[in-house]
Amino acid sequence: MKSRKISRGLRDLLPPELKVRRFMEEKAAALFASYAYEEVMTPTFEYLEVVEMGTGGNIREELFLFMDREGGILSLRPEMTTGIARLAATHLRDAVFPQRLYYLSNSFRYVQPHLAQYREFWQAGIELLGAEGVRADAEVITIAVKALQEMGLDNFKISLNQIAIFNSLLDDSGLNREEKDCIRSLVENKDLVELSRVLESLDIDDELKETIAILPVLHGGIEVLKRLPYVEKNQRALAAVQELREVYETLQLCGVIDHIVVDMGVLRGLDYYTGTVFEGYSPELGYGLLGGGRYDHLLGKFGFPCPATGFALGMDRLALLLKHPALQKAPRYLVGGKDFAAVIARAEELRKQGFAVEIDVEGKSRQELERKLEGRENCITGGLIYV
Amino acid sequence: MYDDYLTIALSKGTLLEPTLEVFKKLKLPGEGINDKSRSMVFTYDNERVKYIMCRPTDVPTYVEQGAADLGIVGKDVIVEQARDVFEMVDLQYGYCRFVVAVPEAIKNITLKDLNYKRAATKFPVIAENFFRSQGLQVEIIKLHGNIELAPLMGLADMIVDLVSTGRTLKENRLVELIKIMDSTTRLICNRVSYRTKHQQIQPLIENMQKLSTGGSA
Repeated sequence: MKSRKISRGLRDLLPPELKVRRFMEEKAAALFASYAYEEVMTPTFEYLEVVEMGTGGNIREELFLFMDREGGILSLRPEMTTGIARLAATHLRDAVFPQRLYYLSNSFRYVQPHLAQYREFWQAGIELLGAEGVRADAEVITIAVKALQEMGLDNFKISLNQIAIFNSLLDDSGLNREEKDCIRSLVENKDLVELSRVLESLDIDDELKETIAILPVLHGGIEVLKRLPYVEKNQRALAAVQELREVYETLQLCGVIDHIVVDMGVLRGLDYYTGTVFEGYSPELGYGLLGGGRYDHLLGKFGFPCPATGFALGMDRLALLLKHPALQKAPRYLVGGKDFAAVIARAEELRKQGFAVEIDVEGKSRQELERKLEGRENCITGGLIYV
Repeated sequence: MYDDYLTIALSKGTLLEPTLEVFKKLKLPGEGINDKSRSMVFTYDNERVKYIMCRPTDVPTYVEQGAADLGIVGKDVIVEQARDVFEMVDLQYGYCRFVVAVPEAIKNITLKDLNYKRAATKFPVIAENFFRSQGLQVEIIKLHGNIELAPLMGLADMIVDLVSTGRTLKENRLVELIKIMDSTTRLICNRVSYRTKHQQIQPLIENMQKLSTGGSA
């Protein structure tokens, strides 16, 4: 057997890539911890019925499915939030809320692989469980902004929306389930051409049509909320707009407003979101960097009703933007010599001082080692010590 | 790599001329562009606009990956490729329609009689989705051109193809059995560019919408 194949969409990570990854993980973990979040881990695969509590069964073709020997259907986790909701509903029933949890984990989706989209992907994320309201939303969004900043990114935007605006308008539209699903998917995919055609054919209030048609393209500062003519007629939508304003104002207090835009087209793909939602983008990459929002009903599906909000940051994508992160590395020495006991002693001494030491295990002469060092000055920054 | 130019992927071929006419009306630069020259990139520094010349089937790829912010391409290509891009404006020109066509000799056949028959097409995704949505099992034979030849030579019982005037069908003694969908030219947009270059893109979209719905920009 000489097969060197790996399954499509997977990859090996070599030291240079892994250094960047660990750098990101350390920054993320330190930031999350500074906001009093604590790390959790959930199993890499779960029962399909658990996974679909979160995904709603819409993305079954994206799941890696297999069976256990008792006939249960299992899925590699396609995201982390559902597993953490299950974890909280199982283990944290008696805990004091709000609970703040974070994770650094891999998830799996059977997607078309391309740059920045792999079938195994790594995320850093947080979940704030048991807190309602705009302050909790603002905390999570603030941490998202700071996470990107900590990792050295400054040119990025977080698009902010309140999903209940769109949902309330659609719920009260008098349309049937099929029509609603159709409009939802057209708005999510920003197929404006088909959307305007479908709206044209529907028998609903003209102002409502106009509002639904404008939602996917409404983008800008908080003032864009004035451009929703129909919202005044829908109490729930109006309340959601008011909440979005409050989140925006709170983010001003948090000092991150420079990175925030209101974007009514952000609906997020997963079924579980209920309130404030957001996504992060950099102009240097054609794909989103992070996404999250409020999901107040998910824990209830596991028998533990509890409001929640959170986000996940795609580390594979972010790594593409961090070409030269300020990686700290200890000076590295190469230690060699005839007397191996002396070599070991010297190496230990240097290691104790915090240096990285590579010892010559091949018993080479000074000249040979000097030759070996040529071209590796960037790596062996401390140089050669021959004892 | 990021720059503040707006990059637009243009479809070479029949769509180019009407596209440039629209651009002219929108006061977008366009001097010297043609798809005959060797240049594939046209840059206009004053206007901060860049055009790239692509095969129509490549336009959604450039836009999805963010190598271009916007693209001009037919709905037929968008549907066949199912790329993750925003579809912003129907530019109306470049009309054609997807049809199922059969040889004249069996023109009175009904759709359900096509179950378990063979269809030749350049658009396997559209063909497959259509037949499935009708509850039919049809064997799709993917060809790269001259689809009309397939039924003549007994390779397929029918074809799924793009038709604009219907002349080619007639010349090959094929008749349109059913229309699957209409297609016109669309403006598509990268998901992220739409957000990060919103101030450049949104006015352009609005002007195009006005223009294509009959008003003037």
